[in-house]
Amino acid sequence: MALRYLASISHYIPEMLLCLTMAGLILIESTYGREVKGRAKGMVYAGAYLGLLATFVSLFKTMGTEPLQIFTGSIVIDSFGTLAKMVMVVGTAAAIYLGRQSLDIYEEVKSEFVILAIGVLIGGMLIVSANNMLIFYIGIETLSILSYVMASLKKNDERSSEAGLKYSLYGGITAGIMLFGMSHIFGVLGTIQFNEVIPAMAALTKTQSLIIMPAFVLFFAGIGYKIACVPFHMWSPDVYEGSPLPVTNFFSIVPKIAGVVALVRITNTFFGGDTSIVRETWVCLLMIASALTMTVGNVSAIGQRSVKRMLAYSSISHAGVMLLGVLVIDDLGARAILFYAVTYLFMTLVAFFITSFVQDHYGNDHFERFNGLISKHPLMSILMITVMFSLAGLPPLSGFVAKFNILAAIIAKKYYVLAVIAVLNSVVSLYYYLKIVRIMVFKDAESDETIPGFGFSNQLVITIMTLPVLLLGIFWEKLVVIAGGAKIFIQ
Amino acid sequence: MSGHSNLLSWILWMPIIGVLGTLLIPRSKETMIRVWSLLNTVVTMGLCAVLYMKFDITQPGMQSFFTIKMPWIKQFNIFYHLAVDGISLPMILLTSLLFFICILSSWTIKKQIKGYFALLLFLQSSVFGVFLAMDFFLFYVYWEVMLIPMFFLIGIWGGENREYAAVKFFLYTFFGSILMLVGMVALYFMTGQGVDSFNILALSGGQFTDKTVELFGFVLPFAKVFFVALFIGFAIKVPVFPFHTWLPHAHVQAPTAISVILAGVLLKMGTYGFLRIAFPIFPSASVYFADAIAWLGLINVIYGAFCAMAQNDVKKLVAYSSVSHMGFVMLGLAAMTVQGMNGAVLQMFNHGTSTAMMFLLIGILYERSHHRWIIRPDGTKGFGGLYTQLPKYSIVFIIAMFASMGLPGLSGFISEALIFLGIYERFTTITVIAVVGLLLGAAYLLWMFKRMFFGEVIEECKSYTDMNAREIFYMTPLCIAVIVFGVWPSPLLNMMKASVGKLVSLLASFS
Repeated sequence: MALRYLASISHYIPEMLLCLTMAGLILIESTYGREVKGRAKGMVYAGAYLGLLATFVSLFKTMGTEPLQIFTGSIVIDSFGTLAKMVMVVGTAAAIYLGRQSLDIYEEVKSEFVILAIGVLIGGMLIVSANNMLIFYIGIETLSILSYVMASLKKNDERSSEAGLKYSLYGGITAGIMLFGMSHIFGVLGTIQFNEVIPAMAALTKTQSLIIMPAFVLFFAGIGYKIACVPFHMWSPDVYEGSPLPVTNFFSIVPKIAGVVALVRITNTFFGGDTSIVRETWVCLLMIASALTMTVGNVSAIGQRSVKRMLAYSSISHAGVMLLGVLVIDDLGARAILFYAVTYLFMTLVAFFITSFVQDHYGNDHFERFNGLISKHPLMSILMITVMFSLAGLPPLSGFVAKFNILAAIIAKKYYVLAVIAVLNSVVSLYYYLKIVRIMVFKDAESDETIPGFGFSNQLVITIMTLPVLLLGIFWEKLVVIAGGAKIFIQ
Repeated sequence: MSGHSNLLSWILWMPIIGVLGTLLIPRSKETMIRVWSLLNTVVTMGLCAVLYMKFDITQPGMQSFFTIKMPWIKQFNIFYHLAVDGISLPMILLTSLLFFICILSSWTIKKQIKGYFALLLFLQSSVFGVFLAMDFFLFYVYWEVMLIPMFFLIGIWGGENREYAAVKFFLYTFFGSILMLVGMVALYFMTGQGVDSFNILALSGGQFTDKTVELFGFVLPFAKVFFVALFIGFAIKVPVFPFHTWLPHAHVQAPTAISVILAGVLLKMGTYGFLRIAFPIFPSASVYFADAIAWLGLINVIYGAFCAMAQNDVKKLVAYSSVSHMGFVMLGLAAMTVQGMNGAVLQMFNHGTSTAMMFLLIGILYERSHHRWIIRPDGTKGFGGLYTQLPKYSIVFIIAMFASMGLPGLSGFISEALIFLGIYERFTTITVIAVVGLLLGAAYLLWMFKRMFFGEVIEECKSYTDMNAREIFYMTPLCIAVIVFGVWPSPLLNMMKASVGKLVSLLASFS
């Protein structure tokens, strides 16, 4: 037994590395933090990047290996999860970079941001590979509790504290609801293992199926809250607005991708081969949730004055689009989601990075702050325009290809109405994405002063992050192959 | 003809070389940017001329000599597939000519020249892409990409209300094309994701006639449902009546060259879409909806003409006249006869030349007057007695106007006559009413001419100078085209005859 545990650990190196990194960073921060602030911070960042790089490399090495279950079946290591984890690691690294540059995070809590972000990443990686309801719950809680703290990092700011409080209250309630649903599922099926759900459900009578249905709805509430899908999205605009910008950037990437990917795994494991009434309910639930999420997210984004808030709503609608890939319950959908996650990562990062530097300079991120940006910072503006068009799904950018993949997945299942809802939503979204393009290009600048945030290194980082958005729009074959090869491991 | 040629790729990518060149030239060297862009379009025109020489007019369908097919995304069976036939060739020639003229007419642009010419050439490449692509996915990509340069060209270099017009144009056309995307993906899965699932040519032929689709629990015929989806996409571009509201705004706000491109080439992409995609892929549904298309076309003709008559802004007047003239194209398409279809394709070309002339002439006048009011909002005359002031200008204007009106001897007459010949038997009532549209066309154009060119010379007009050498130079090819194809349309008709005949016989087998 002990030996098998040790053997399991050898497959769990990426997560262990991250845990060690986090622990090490806490040590560095608490030892040197008070005396030599500058040097300590440098060490924290160096440690964090080193840890993330090591994690990425070890994840990369596990990509091709055989899928397997570890820790007595409570965790699954498969290429699907690994790819998602790699995306999350890159997202975290970028968020940490922004955290260092941004003025929105106070100087004294910069290292806390790093440590918390890595903690959230560990939680996210846990739910992505969970094969057991308890592990899943632990992952969700790890991710959530640290997120509450991150939301209120701006201690003296009322809105930030409000964000943290709102987030934790809402999160606490939904966690309770989810736990209740899980206990219900356990009560009926007698198992908490994901892979044992299918055989257990096949044995159910019709009445028992009807009993278990509400339990799945409750279970869904927990995940739905994490990816901010309507109607569990109420917290997100306020939390996104109240939190410091790098935190918002982080929230719209790591927890969201983790939630969606976990949902794909759960849906495919539970209902992969199954055609019972429970599956129908689950799909129906996802359909309603995704249609509502896309529509509400987009329509609310139109009226926003703050770019950050607009991006927050747009990320809600993108979660809705990703849900479309979940509800088809097949490999095509899973592939589309992974592709979407990769492109969404880069698009969101670029948009938030640019917004962050503008906000740091002017003190707020209202649309007017972007007036005439193209005359002052042409390169940055062109990159912003590129990601805006990509987010709206215009070819030949990667956002279009991602949307095309999702559409292909749902049209293959003949969900034409949903497809039309999705594409109409992208027309709506184009309107508000165009708003920022319009302001940058057609309006005159308020003043001649340039934005100091756009130094050489920052511009370089932003440019590098935009390259995938451009290249994956044309040369996307490779990524489709990789994402298609990343199969979900179902026993 | 044996052998193989990469000519189509050269035509498609030549403007992109132009874009890169303009971006490399320093901002301050304005003349160099202009000359470089001009040379680039000249080279493209030369390539198109070679294409015309080598084109085998006896061959219906795609010419294998020019076809280029390379895999792009193997997973989805998407190909980089270019080809040309008698329907697309006139459009390609028109595109290369109009962009050359537009570069010349944009010589006077002052604002951000570098960006302007780069976007214009980029636009040219994407327009070529639409007319050359035979892979549905590739077609869609170019169809959408084209919106981006248009958005900026209208939005940056346009008139007062340019932002509104640019956004409206973008959203409207995006809405249309996104429905096309759903149709495209549905076709892909309907054919079983095979090698030819995005191949427009292989999809053609009516293989979807018996397929069904389930919507809200109703079982509906697949072809009809998706024909409507594609129809809306293309109809917005044409623009067909209920979807036309973006056009006047875009035209009025766009700079001259962009109006020319918009009316001359981009509107044709809509009708080209019917000819290339909607009709061949869903012939049964096309036949089924022919009546509806004809009625919509008729509404376009009459409604567009009445709207044009009511305008005081001369550019808006011409914009609405485009709506009316594109209605004739729709009528010709709905006829589904040899004469009707030939007339429609010919009208696409002829309208391209005559409307381009009108917009160019209005642009020339605008550079002198800085307004376009026939009657100003305060009730006074905007122009008067131009005929005595600008004799050369007036002669060219008369040619353009009569061509647009459809006067015998000029190009518009031939195509409209063919269209009427084609539809008379099937839609007699519609033909009779549409002829009234022709009369209305003459009415609003002549009335406009009377108010602007005759009568007392108003004070302001006395200072206007006549057309200069550059302006005469770029109007000449269009004048020649309008007159030559008015008396001798056979080069164009021969070019398209075989391909159009193929489409008509396909449609005939379903009616």
